[in-house]
Amino acid sequence: MIALDRVCKRYGARTVIHDLSFSVERGEIVGFLGPNGAGKTTTLRMLAGFTTATSGRVRVAGHDMATENVQAARKIGYVPEHPPLYDALDVSAYLRFVAKVKGVPRSEMAAELERVTAACRLEAVFRREIYKLSKGYRQRVGLAQALLGRPEVLLLDEPTIGLDPGQIQETREVIRAFGEEHTVLLSTHILPEATLICRRVAIIHHGRLLAIDTPGGLQRAVEHSNVVNLQVSAPAEALRAELLALEGVRAVHLQAARGEDRRLLVQCEVEERDGVEAAIARTVALRWELHRLERQQPTLENVFLHYVRAAPAVAEAA
Amino acid sequence: MSNAFAIYQKELWHYFRSPIAYFVVAVFLLGAGYFFSYNIFFTGIASMAETFQNMGILLLMVVPALTMRLYPAEYGAGTMELLLTLPLRPWQIVLGKYLGALTILLLMIAGTLIDLVPLYLFGDPDTTTILAGYIGFLLLGMACLAVGQFFSALTSNQIVAALATLAVLLAFWFVGHLQAFQTSHVLRGLLGYLSFSGHYADFILGLVRSEAVVFYLIVTAIAWTLTTSYLQWQR
Repeated sequence: MIALDRVCKRYGARTVIHDLSFSVERGEIVGFLGPNGAGKTTTLRMLAGFTTATSGRVRVAGHDMATENVQAARKIGYVPEHPPLYDALDVSAYLRFVAKVKGVPRSEMAAELERVTAACRLEAVFRREIYKLSKGYRQRVGLAQALLGRPEVLLLDEPTIGLDPGQIQETREVIRAFGEEHTVLLSTHILPEATLICRRVAIIHHGRLLAIDTPGGLQRAVEHSNVVNLQVSAPAEALRAELLALEGVRAVHLQAARGEDRRLLVQCEVEERDGVEAAIARTVALRWELHRLERQQPTLENVFLHYVRAAPAVAEAA
Repeated sequence: MSNAFAIYQKELWHYFRSPIAYFVVAVFLLGAGYFFSYNIFFTGIASMAETFQNMGILLLMVVPALTMRLYPAEYGAGTMELLLTLPLRPWQIVLGKYLGALTILLLMIAGTLIDLVPLYLFGDPDTTTILAGYIGFLLLGMACLAVGQFFSALTSNQIVAALATLAVLLAFWFVGHLQAFQTSHVLRGLLGYLSFSGHYADFILGLVRSEAVVFYLIVTAIAWTLTTSYLQWQR
């Protein structure tokens, strides 16, 4: 559905996108993850046909965006970072305008408006002028606009930014429902969002693709976590000595648990091998009271930082 | 075509939902009415010639006000990103917006028709001359709107768009005056040909010359093409 093949984008001497290639299949929700200025918006703009690639091929829904962007536009719903709204129009007039341009037939107009209005929960503001709407509603009108005409591909630039938790939940539901049959590419810098709704996550930094995989796959690839956390009620020095004596434990960090008398938070750096946790558990439980023991889960934050830090420093002037 | 029509409808909505259309039309009619009564009482001749001349200059002043927001408003609100990613070709955007502005111009023209009532009641004006004058005014207006639209597309600032349009329109209006300083025949001919007011003067006298008609249409077409190409090139 979406395919980028060795795409570069230059503005003057500044290269914003370097040799970017990836593809998204039908029925897939892919998250585009990167710090601000990584090139997420530029990539989405190229996919939406707002800008053209300097080199390389961008294909969406079977159309080359360099030459057939108008044909492709019928199959794309696009929500830019700032929803592109006409403040003077009311919601119904705005949606009708977009629907007309997208070629929704007059006979289906009312049903189509009703469908997107219901999907984005805009019934309450349907007749209200857009300049009177709250940020959350504006964002949803932007999304409703993109859903008009039943596009095959949905491109969303930070779709949940500026929404309250309830609205974020609703927006995610809309995206998830759409993504069951169609293709969604959304950019975000909120990591949990990507893990929640995306089948795959692409990490982009300085205009280069660093990784693309399932959230779980990315986590596994980056680190087999080598930290075990415990909570123990024990004298500090005795515990430290006991733990360091164990085979496989490299270092121990102790910290008093706040609000809990005599309870210690322990962070053990361990070697990567099976059975280390079990050995720690046995040793500690034998002498003291063990409240908790867990291997630290790698978060997407760690994954992201790992890739971003590992990326070579980019010569911007290149 | 229906896409261009959707843009046209949206443009009209914007004109009439904001004070711009009312204000511009009112100012124009106020000015045209003033010049009409002044000319009639001053000369006592049942003719629109002087009034058409004044209306031409007035037009140069109001066209920038009509065209200045065409694109800067879209750039500012981020809606250009919407228009260029919808199934729209740049020429459809240009056409829809142009027709919107042209509709306001037609309203202004319709408003001046009221001047003809006393003219025909109390005098015996020459109908064909007046008709020619209106054709000339419409063509002049079409060319000015197209130029205004082009400069509006170039900038995201409405004031800059308005002032650039005004400067260029004034230059085209007065460029004929430079003829007197030229010794070269070619240059004199060229400056005369480029003069908006020169061609307009023929219409006021009752002459619909194909050369003048073609001139205004060419200016309109060039400005359209430049606007469309600019939008295309921006991608």
